[in-house]
Amino acid sequence: MDSMEYLQLLQKILVVSVSLYLFSKIIKHMATFINVGKEPLRVLVTGAAGQIGYSLVPMIAKGMMLGQDQPIILHLLDIEPAMEALNGVKMELIDSAFPLLKGVVATTNAMEACEDVDIAIMVGGYPRKEGMERKDVMSENVSIYKDQAAALEMNAAPNCKILVVANPANTNALILKEFAPSIPEKDITCLTRLDHNRALGQISEKLNVDVSYVKNVILWGNHSSTQYPDVNHATVITDSGEKSVNELVADDQWLKTEFITTVQQRGAAIIKARKLSSAMSAASAACDHIRDWVLGTPKGTWVSMGVYSDGSYGIPSGLIYSFPVTCEKGEWSIVQGLKIDEFSREKMDATAKELIEEKAIAHSCLN
Amino acid sequence: MAKEPVRVLVTGAAGQIGYALVPMIARGIMLGADQPVILHMLDIPPAAEALNGVKMELIDAAFPLLKGVVATTDVVEGCAGVNIAVMVGGFPRKEGMERKDVMSKNVSIYKSQASALEKHAAANCKVLVVANPANTNALILKEFAPSIPEKNITCLTRLDHNRALGQISERLNVQVSDVKNAIIWGNHSSSQYPDVNHATVKTPAGEKPVRELVANDEWLNGEFIATVQQRGAAIIKARKLSSALSAASSACDHIRDWVLGTPEGTWVSMGVYSDGSYNVPAGLIYSFPVTCVSGEWKIVQGLHIDEFSRKKLDATAEELTEEKALAYSCIS
Repeated sequence: MDSMEYLQLLQKILVVSVSLYLFSKIIKHMATFINVGKEPLRVLVTGAAGQIGYSLVPMIAKGMMLGQDQPIILHLLDIEPAMEALNGVKMELIDSAFPLLKGVVATTNAMEACEDVDIAIMVGGYPRKEGMERKDVMSENVSIYKDQAAALEMNAAPNCKILVVANPANTNALILKEFAPSIPEKDITCLTRLDHNRALGQISEKLNVDVSYVKNVILWGNHSSTQYPDVNHATVITDSGEKSVNELVADDQWLKTEFITTVQQRGAAIIKARKLSSAMSAASAACDHIRDWVLGTPKGTWVSMGVYSDGSYGIPSGLIYSFPVTCEKGEWSIVQGLKIDEFSREKMDATAKELIEEKAIAHSCLN
Repeated sequence: MAKEPVRVLVTGAAGQIGYALVPMIARGIMLGADQPVILHMLDIPPAAEALNGVKMELIDAAFPLLKGVVATTDVVEGCAGVNIAVMVGGFPRKEGMERKDVMSKNVSIYKSQASALEKHAAANCKVLVVANPANTNALILKEFAPSIPEKNITCLTRLDHNRALGQISERLNVQVSDVKNAIIWGNHSSSQYPDVNHATVKTPAGEKPVRELVANDEWLNGEFIATVQQRGAAIIKARKLSSALSAASSACDHIRDWVLGTPEGTWVSMGVYSDGSYNVPAGLIYSFPVTCVSGEWKIVQGLHIDEFSRKKLDATAEELTEEKALAYSCIS
């Protein structure tokens, strides 16, 4: 090819490239007029007239759960005696003029509430009051979760992601799973992110560092006083790189005793101070749980979720047990291969034992 | 390069509105997802244990933007170095109470908090008064903190503004984000005037006036106004408690737009120190339509006020003048 033809070829390539570039800009510009926003997702909150619901719904409506570009339709469910209060919540949601909130369904009818929902946050149940242990509220909640399982199975969108918050969370989730057999077991989870975040908070306070620099604690087992907050694999971002929490705290005694009991009993401490169950932090943790599940965990970071045990780490399968998980493309997977020392082994087994007992009590409530 | 944290004070932080508001601030809803915050929470000694419970929950929530929490019953410690002060503390209105019922209690609170803010807050601290009677509490605060620039003392009428937008969106069955430029004139009370004469709706055929689309002047001049005016009472009737969620959300909107600016072509409603615009008496905290740029608000000028509106604007100004006199008699 002589230089003339070469130049002509270059010219042609240049013209074609510029044309393609301008063409793509025009298409993008036109697309903004068509306003190709995302389709709204339907999010159900049960017990929506209660404390946790009241903290949770504005967080959802403000995009804290699913992102600032995800429109939402809220489904709010509660029991008949709470209907007027529930309507008050709906009125306040309208009064807030939330740009992302594309609709609100407020109802006492479980079937209507569950219709086509993509995400279900089961907050409804009996709140724990000062002095009550979780087992005290078990039988009331077991029958609630049996009924709601049926409604979800029949009416929710396929692949609906479920988060059970109401205590006893793990066992309520298990009941829900057993009475909604066609819902994939991977889609039924319970909240232990609150305990996970509490553990991060305690470490950040102890070390006087930003909580955003602490990561990879693990909350094993039951969302109850037998939970095991484990920092053996947790790290802190420091000026000289990531350091292990064990090394920085340099106080095994504290980490194996006071730290654990503080996190385990934090719920009771909040009730003692506020005379009411934690609502704000529970709602925030529920947002974190769903957000990370749907949008993925950050690289190098895992979180804690109560999920259906597959026998990992020697935990009996068939329980809803809190494990360290990473999330990608809307799916969680248990972090494998972490070393479990003897102290941890005992703790993990103790909380598994409690869950097995709870499961038996729950089944006896059903008979 | 992360931003320096901003100190945000919330008074009455152990109460309902505070509980809804602090997670919104800590999550970046008020000042943006890139603005770290340090929360100062103030309440009265009987609420100290509950306040500590709120601080514990804030720590338990592991908010990445929250760089510190000061929970105190000491007003000096509460006000120290704050850049933004949201005054929620006061007596909440219960079912059956009118705002005037709670006035005298709140006037003495705002007098003492005024001097604490004046002495200890950061320079150019932006103040938002929420506790009712909001306008008059803000006026008391202004008068007893003379070195705080009058432009920095505002009260919340954004809640009523958002309620008006909500009512229009429900009436027209459109998205609330497509409705804009309602105005709340006057007092955050039942004499407020929700004015849609300049409000518009974004439609596929461009922006249309609300009056034209609703095509029902009787409703707009009657039921619509009453609904917005009395919405607070309606919420109390349904919930047996004052609006907290929507009040907190509106407080975030008010501060966010003030600090970060209003969108192009959009105004919002804020209770601000009247300069005599629109023939409203100067020396009142009165809700006007404002735009915000570079951290400063400015009253939207030149809007046509028809006769119906004129009467409403004057009536709510008259109530504010009466409240001012009543407040002063409480102090004497």
